[in-house]
Amino acid sequence: MSSPTLTKDETTQSSPPSSGSSGPRTTPEAPSALARFAANPKALALVVAALVVIVSGLVSGDGTWPHSLTADVKSPLNDLDNWLVDNRDTHWIFLYFLLHLSNTAQVCYDTLLSLLESMSYVGVIVVGTLIAWAAGGADLSRRALRTGGTALAVFVVCGVLDVWEPTMETLALMIVAVVFSALLGGLLGLASGLSDRCEKILRPVFDTMQVMPAFAYLLPLILMFDIGVPSALIATVIYAAPPMARLTSLGLRQADPTALEAATSLGADARQRLLTARLPLARKQMMLGLNQTIMMCLSMVVLASLIGAGGLGSEVYEALGALKIGDALVAGIAVVLLAVLLDRTTAAAGERLDDVATSGISRTVERLRLAVWGGIVVLIGVFAAVGTAIAGNEWPEGWVVDFSNSVDTAVDWFTDHLGSGIPVLGGTITWAQGFTEYVLNPLRDGLLATPWWGLALLVAVIGWIVGTWRAALTGVICLALIGWMRLWDVAMDTLSQVLAGLFLTIIVGVLVGILCARVQRVDRIMRPVLDTMQTMPQFVYLIPVIALVGQNRTGGILAAVIYAAPAVIRITAQGLRTVDPAAMEASTSLGATGKQQLFGVQLPLARKSMLVALNQGVVLVLSMVVIAGLIGGGALGYMVVQGLSKGDLSQGFPAGIAIVCLGIMLDRLSQPVGKRVRD
Amino acid sequence: MRMKRIGTIGVAGAGILGVLALTGCAADTKASGGGDDKVVLAEPSWVGATANAAVVKKLLEDELDVKVEAKQMDEPVAFDALNSGKADAILEDWHGVPKKEKLYVEKKKTVVSGGDLGVVGHIGWFVPKYWADKHPDAVKDFKKLNKYYKDFRTSESGKLGHFIGAAPSYSQHDKELIKNFDMKFKHIPSGAEAAQLKELKRLYDAKKPFLTYWWEPQWMNEKIDMVEVKLPKHTPGCEVPASKAKCGYETNQLEKFLNADFAKSNSKAAQFIKNFHWSTEDQNEVAGMIAGEKMDPEDAAAKWIKENKSKWEKWIPKK
Amino acid sequence: MSEAAETTATAENEDAQTNVKANDNDTRTGPVFSVRNLWKVFGPKADRVPGDPEHAALSQTELREKTGCTAAVRDVSFDVHKGEVFVVMGLSGSGKSTLVRCLTRLIEPTAGTLEFNGEDVISMGKDALRELRRHRASMVFQNFGLLPHRSVLDNVAYGLEIQGMAKAVRRERAAEMVAKVGLEGLGERRPGQLSGGQQQRVGLARALAVDPQVLLFDEPFSALDPLIRRDMQEEVIRLHREEGRTMIFITHDLSEALRLGDRIALMRDGEIVQLGTPEEIVANPADDYVRDFVRDVPREQVISVRRAMRPADAAEAATGTEITPETLVSDAIATVARTGEHCRVVEDGHVRGVVDHASLLTVVAGLDKDSAGEDGMEREVAAV
Repeated sequence: MSSPTLTKDETTQSSPPSSGSSGPRTTPEAPSALARFAANPKALALVVAALVVIVSGLVSGDGTWPHSLTADVKSPLNDLDNWLVDNRDTHWIFLYFLLHLSNTAQVCYDTLLSLLESMSYVGVIVVGTLIAWAAGGADLSRRALRTGGTALAVFVVCGVLDVWEPTMETLALMIVAVVFSALLGGLLGLASGLSDRCEKILRPVFDTMQVMPAFAYLLPLILMFDIGVPSALIATVIYAAPPMARLTSLGLRQADPTALEAATSLGADARQRLLTARLPLARKQMMLGLNQTIMMCLSMVVLASLIGAGGLGSEVYEALGALKIGDALVAGIAVVLLAVLLDRTTAAAGERLDDVATSGISRTVERLRLAVWGGIVVLIGVFAAVGTAIAGNEWPEGWVVDFSNSVDTAVDWFTDHLGSGIPVLGGTITWAQGFTEYVLNPLRDGLLATPWWGLALLVAVIGWIVGTWRAALTGVICLALIGWMRLWDVAMDTLSQVLAGLFLTIIVGVLVGILCARVQRVDRIMRPVLDTMQTMPQFVYLIPVIALVGQNRTGGILAAVIYAAPAVIRITAQGLRTVDPAAMEASTSLGATGKQQLFGVQLPLARKSMLVALNQGVVLVLSMVVIAGLIGGGALGYMVVQGLSKGDLSQGFPAGIAIVCLGIMLDRLSQPVGKRVRD
Repeated sequence: MRMKRIGTIGVAGAGILGVLALTGCAADTKASGGGDDKVVLAEPSWVGATANAAVVKKLLEDELDVKVEAKQMDEPVAFDALNSGKADAILEDWHGVPKKEKLYVEKKKTVVSGGDLGVVGHIGWFVPKYWADKHPDAVKDFKKLNKYYKDFRTSESGKLGHFIGAAPSYSQHDKELIKNFDMKFKHIPSGAEAAQLKELKRLYDAKKPFLTYWWEPQWMNEKIDMVEVKLPKHTPGCEVPASKAKCGYETNQLEKFLNADFAKSNSKAAQFIKNFHWSTEDQNEVAGMIAGEKMDPEDAAAKWIKENKSKWEKWIPKK
Repeated sequence: MSEAAETTATAENEDAQTNVKANDNDTRTGPVFSVRNLWKVFGPKADRVPGDPEHAALSQTELREKTGCTAAVRDVSFDVHKGEVFVVMGLSGSGKSTLVRCLTRLIEPTAGTLEFNGEDVISMGKDALRELRRHRASMVFQNFGLLPHRSVLDNVAYGLEIQGMAKAVRRERAAEMVAKVGLEGLGERRPGQLSGGQQQRVGLARALAVDPQVLLFDEPFSALDPLIRRDMQEEVIRLHREEGRTMIFITHDLSEALRLGDRIALMRDGEIVQLGTPEEIVANPADDYVRDFVRDVPREQVISVRRAMRPADAAEAATGTEITPETLVSDAIATVARTGEHCRVVEDGHVRGVVDHASLLTVVAGLDKDSAGEDGMEREVAAV
C-alpha cells in the first residue's frame, strides 16, 4: 500500500514488506528500492508492527484480552432486559412516546395495505402503471412508455408468480418506509447542510450508520417495539434515512455559491435563499439520495422479516425454513422486480425533472401532467370503491405459473453434483474443507495467538498509514471496546472470517472486474447478472450454500463473497473504464500491448477506485458474514441470531456492538483519506 | 405457497379515498385487540407448528367463519405477543422459555394454558442408523461416544468431534452436558432449523457419521433414519441451572397457550383452540406433506381435513 | 446624471470627456459610495490587525507569517461619484473582488467606514441592509449565478420576487429587461440552453430589473470569449449612455478598464496603488508596478493632446487646425498627417498650445517625462 510505486519495473523484486526487510537479495535495482523503502517511515513502521505481531504471536501463543481490563456487561443488560419486560406496558416512555410511534407506523401500514387490497389487483396494476408512466413524463416519449411498460410487466409477473399478496404487503411497507425515511433524511440533511455544528455532530453518525450491519440493531428494536410491522418499519427508516440525509446535506453544501451569493446580493433573507435557491439547486443530489434510500428501504424491508415485517421477505425466510429453495427464489425474484420498478421509476422521474430544469416545459404540457396526476388520484378513489367488486381482491388462481418445484429439482441436482460429484477435482465440499483447514483455521488461530497489544499496534499503524492518526485511534478504541465486553475471542473468529471472505471477494471482484472492463461482451452479460445479485435478498443464498459446502463458516464466507462481489466487480470495472483516455491513448501510441496497458496504465491509475472497492467490500462482507450466523457462521453473528430469537438483550446486544466496532475499525482501516463519499 | 391471508379488513364498502382511509384505521385498531373477528396465531419457525397453524386456520375459516392470521414468531417472542395481546394463541409450546412462562402465566396472569396439544415432544442426541448399526455400544451409553470421537471430526471442530447443536431458540443444554461429562466433542450450534435440516440431509446422503441434537415430532424422521443415543435420565429440575446439568431431556407434553382475554372471551374460536388436540402421527402427516412433498400448507391441511373428518368434528364447539 | 449621459454621447473620446464631466459633478453632489480606511482581514483574530500600526506596515507575506492573517483589503479609501463608471482593477488575489463585496457587506468589512449616499452602511441593521441590496445596489457576477431550474424570465424577475412583487407585474418588468439586454424571444429558455454571453446578459437584466442606483460588476466578462466580451462591453457602454447609472466595475483586464472606466483604482495586495483617470494612469504611473502594467497600452489612444502640446509661438498660434485639449493623440496624429502641419489646441477660445509631429511622436514613443526607467521595471515584474 505504501511501498513506493516503481514505474518501470519488470522484475518482481519488490515484495511485501515483511520479506523485504528480512532477506535483501542484491540486484542492481535493489539497493535503491530498498533505500527508498527504508526512508519511508510509514513502511518501516508497518514492517516493525508486522514483525512484532508475528514474533509475539509465536512466543505467547495465547493473546486474549486480559480479564482485568474487562467489565461484566451482561448483568446490567439483563437488568435492563427485565426492566423492559416489566415496564413495557406501564412506563410513561412507552405509553406516551414509543407506543404512539409504533401505533402510527402500524396504522399507516394497515391503511395503505387495505387501500391496496380494496383496489384489487386490477386497480393496483392500472394505477401503478399510470404512476410510472406519469413519473416518466406522461406523454408518448420513449421514456414514459418504457417506465409504464416496466411497471405493468413487473406487476403482472408478480401476480403470475403467485406472490401477489406478499408483494402488496411489501409495497405497502415500502411506501410507508420510504415516505418516513425521506422525510427524516431530508430534515437531518437540511440540518447538517445548513449548520456546521449539526454537520459536525451528524457526519460521524451517518458514517457509522453506513458501515453498521443492519442485523446488529434489530434486537434493541424488538425489545422496545415488540416483533412486528412497527419494529420493521422503524429499523428500515433508521437504515435508509442516512443516504437521503447525506446527499441532501451534500447537495445543499455544493449548491453553486455564486447563485447563492446572487440571491443574497438581491436582498434575499435566509428563508427565501433556502426555498428559492438552495433547495432547488440541491435537487439533483436529493433525487439521488431518494433513489438510494428507496433501494436501501427495499433491502431492509426484506431483512426485517426476521422481526416480523411480513411480505416478500418473510416468504423468502419461511420458504427457506421449509427448505423450499424454489419458493424462496420466486419471492426473491419478486423483490428484484420491485427493485427494478422502483429504480427505473425514480430514475425516470429524476431525468424528467432534469429535462424540465434544463429545457423548460410548455404550459400546456405542464397542465396535461397535472391533469394526469389528478386523474390518478381519482382513479385510486374509484378503484378503492369498486375495485373488489370488479375483479375480486385476490389474484385469480388460474393465472399463476408454478415453477418452484422445478427450480428445487434443478438446484438440488446442481448442488449435489457440484458438491461432491466432480471427478478428480472433488467438489465444493472438499474444497471448502481445504479452505477451512488451510486458510480459515490458521487465520483464526493466528489472530487468537497474537497478543492483544500486538494487534492493537498493527491496527494503529495501518490506520496511521492509510488515513490519519484519527483513524488509528478509532481502530484501537474499537478493538478495546470489544475486549472490554469480553468478546475478544469471538470477535477474532468473526474477524478471521471477514478477512478470508474479503480476500476471496477482492480476488473474484478484481478478476471479473478486469474482464468486464476489457471485454465488451462479458460486460454485457454480467450487467443484468450483477443487478440481480445486488438486489436479491441475502437469505436466498443461504440454503443452497449449505448444500454446496455444508453448514460451517466456509458456507457463510461463500455467501458473503456472492453478496459482496457484485459491488466490487462494478466499482473495479468502472474505475478501469474511466481511466483518463489521454493516458490510454498515450500508451497505445507508444505501442504498449494489452497486458502492458493493463498493468502499466489502467491498474495504477484506477488505484483510487480499487481502494473504494476494497472499502465497499469490507462493509458488505462483514454484513453478510454476520447474517451467516444463521447457517453456521458462528461467532458474533450467531450471538446476534441467538439474542434475536430468544429476545435476550444481554446475549445479542454486546455482540451487536462488537459487530459495529469491527465494522467501524475495518472501514477506517480501508478508507484512504479524503475519500469519504461512496457511491 | 403458504399465504398469510390478511384478508379484507372490512373496508370493502368504503367509497371515497378519505372515508376509506378512516374506516381502514378503525377496522384495524379493532382487529388487533384480539376480538372475535380475527384470530392471530403465533407460529414458531418449525414445520410442525406450521402444520398446527394450517389445520387450525383452515378449520376456523371454513367451519366457523373466523378470520385467522398466522404470524411467524419463535417462543420467546410469542410469549411477549400473547402477553400484549398481539397474538391470541400459540399452539405448540415446548416449554423452552420457563422464565417468561412463569412471569406471564403465574405472576401477571396475562397468558393462560390452553391444555395439551396431544403431540408428545422429545429431544435427544441422535446418530444416523448406518453408524449406530456398526457401533451399538455407543448408542446404549453416550459416554462411549468418546471412543469414536475421531469419526465425527470435521474441519470446523478441529481435533474434537463435531456435535451439531440446535438452532438458538430451541431448548437445549448440550454445550453444558458436553462440558460436564468431559466429552471429546465440540458443540457447534446451527444458525436455524432449516440450516440444520439441510446439513443433516447432506451428511445423510453422503453416508457420513454425525451426532446431532434432534427431536420428535419432526417430519424429516420419515426421510432420515436416526437412532437416539441414551442420555442420563431426566429428573424434574435437573437442567436448572444449565451450567450444572447432567441429564437428558424431558419428554414433553406440548402445550397450547392463550392470551388471557382471548381465553376469557370464550368465543367459538377460543373454544375451538382449547379443544384442538391431535397426535404426533397426525401432525407428522401434515408436516410431511408440507415439507417433504412441498405442498402448500393450506392444501396439505385441506387434504388432511378431508380425510380425517371424525377427528376434527370433536373440536368444533357446540352451538 | 443627465449631463453625464449627454457628454458620453460623442463616440470616440467619451472616456476623457465623461471623466471631466464626472469631475465636475463631483463638486455638485455628494459621492454615492464613500469608503474610508476600509480593511478586510481573513484569519484568526482578524480584527486586531487593522488597528495595529505595527501590523499595518508589514507586507502581505510578513503579515501572514506573523499573525496567520491575510489582509485582502488594506486601508482603502475612495469615493464613487454619481453617474460615473468606477473601475477597480488588479491581478487576481489583489483583493478587488473582496472589496466590491464589502460595499454591500456580502463580506463583512473588518474595519473602516463605508457610506452609501451619506448613510452609514456598516451600522445598518439586517433589514436596512436587505433594503439596500434589494433596491439600491445590485450586482453582476463573474460566473453569472443564475438559477438553472428557472426560465430566463423568472431569473430576471428573481430580484423582484424577493422584493415580494406580484407575479404578473414582475414578469412584465422582467420581459422589458430581457428585451433591453437583447434577449427577446428567449424568455422561456433555461440558462443551460444559452451561450455564456447570453447568460451574462440575463445576469445583467436581473441586476437592472430592480432599478438600482448602483450596479456592481464583479469581473462580469472574464469568463467570456474575447469577441463576446467586446460585445458585452459595448452593451455596458450603451446602457451607461442611456441611463447614466452609477457603476462600479471590477476587472483584471486593463483594456477593459481603460475602455469603460471614468476613473480607475488600481489595486495590488489589497491596497490601492493609484487612483485616477485612464489618462492619468497611463501617462503618469504612480510607481514601477503601475508602469509595468500600462507598458503595452497604445498610449496615443488614451492620452490627450493636453499632455502632448507645447507652448505655441506667435506664428503658430494663428495657423493650423483647431482641436480641443481632450482630443486623443491618435486623432491629432491623423489630423496632423492629413494637413501636414501642426494643430492648435484651443480651449474656451484661447489657444493653449500646439502639437506637431515631434510632440505627438514623443507621446507615442513614451519618451515624455512621465515614463522612464524601463529596466528597473523589469525586475519589479519578475518579483511580482
